Amino acid sequence: MESEVADRDACTLIPATTPGTTVTGDLGAPLYVAWQVTNECNLACLHCIEESGPGKAFRDELSKAQVFRVLEQVMEYQVPYLSFSGGEPMIHPHFFEMVEYVCARNGELKIETNGHYLTPENCERLKALGVKAVQVSLDGASRETFNRMRVRGDFDRTIEGMRNLRAAGVPIEINYSPTRFNAHEIGAAVDLACELGAYSFYTGPTMYTGNAVKTWHLLELSEDQYATFFQVLHAKTEEYRGRMRVYFHEMGLLEELRYRLHHPAALLIVLPNGLVKLINALPFVCGDLRTQTLGEIWANFQRAWQDPRVAQFVEDLATDPGKTSSLHQWVYL
Amino acid sequence: MKLAKYVKFREEKFGGVVFETRSEKVYTLNPSAAAVLREIEEGADEHEIPKRVQARFQDASGAIEREVTALIAELRQKGLVED
Repeated sequence: MESEVADRDACTLIPATTPGTTVTGDLGAPLYVAWQVTNECNLACLHCIEESGPGKAFRDELSKAQVFRVLEQVMEYQVPYLSFSGGEPMIHPHFFEMVEYVCARNGELKIETNGHYLTPENCERLKALGVKAVQVSLDGASRETFNRMRVRGDFDRTIEGMRNLRAAGVPIEINYSPTRFNAHEIGAAVDLACELGAYSFYTGPTMYTGNAVKTWHLLELSEDQYATFFQVLHAKTEEYRGRMRVYFHEMGLLEELRYRLHHPAALLIVLPNGLVKLINALPFVCGDLRTQTLGEIWANFQRAWQDPRVAQFVEDLATDPGKTSSLHQWVYL
Repeated sequence: MKLAKYVKFREEKFGGVVFETRSEKVYTLNPSAAAVLREIEEGADEHEIPKRVQARFQDASGAIEREVTALIAELRQKGLVED
């Protein structure tokens, strides 16, 4: 056996953060790749941070060959956690082939979907392939609320999709975007999520970007409304402790970005065309998976967080929160 | 003994990381703890691991053997390994 250094710290396991919050440090690769596989969506949600919708696929989205080259690298670098989102990932033409590729190589994969394609057959297929979880966007506890926010969406179909997931035995997570339409239903939504078999419920302040820029006057919550919203969540966290994890963050965007400047998460955000963003809430791009390796991009990711333009953008947000409306005008670092 | 179904281990220059995918918790490991995880991943006998790691780190004091035993107990208690 090869000998190693004798001068050492005690043999320990140091807990514990989540892959999205673990800082980059000396990691050789990201711990989490969040991949927006297409910008196309069957819905046109008022609050969508990605400006997704029908006919909104990027013109330069990755080809099938490019998609699988990226997946190959994600596996090669042993990225332990990968998610497919969109747009709506389940309408990507190679969705199930991509899922199969990852799961067959023991990758841990989460699907983030609006729940409209969760037929019994698709749920059974996802279970058979071995996805880690399916996260469903459930922005409301009633048909009236949900359907107003999720334009072209169908609450009943989403609920049916979740029942199909449960029947197939696929772990379910819920994501909830709070707005003026649905904040009052947060308690009922948490109850509904548990009733439908979810093991996790996620929420946090809705961002002023994407479609939400155009509809902000309809969506924006006051500080008092947010205070009530989080008060309910604190109570629900206790109520469901041990049965369902209720996870939420109250940090405002500026506060979070200031923290991230010094503690970048070990997370790469991949856009449908292969560009890699520093973080969703900033316009900065640190690589292109069509022309660079994941290793090169990871190295540049860590350097890019030190670029003065990033810190300047974050500080400018303090006086001009409207700058987040330009997140889709990418700046290459 | 093997890594539990939902556990991923990756070696790093500083040691390694363990990702428990159900709770989404990440643990960082120093080199000797990473050596333990590598032994487990390779299917080494649980009772052999303390001595193998002790030899690897040339530890004459016996401390590392006790630490490895404690670490394995902790891994089991946290559900990160299973029989």
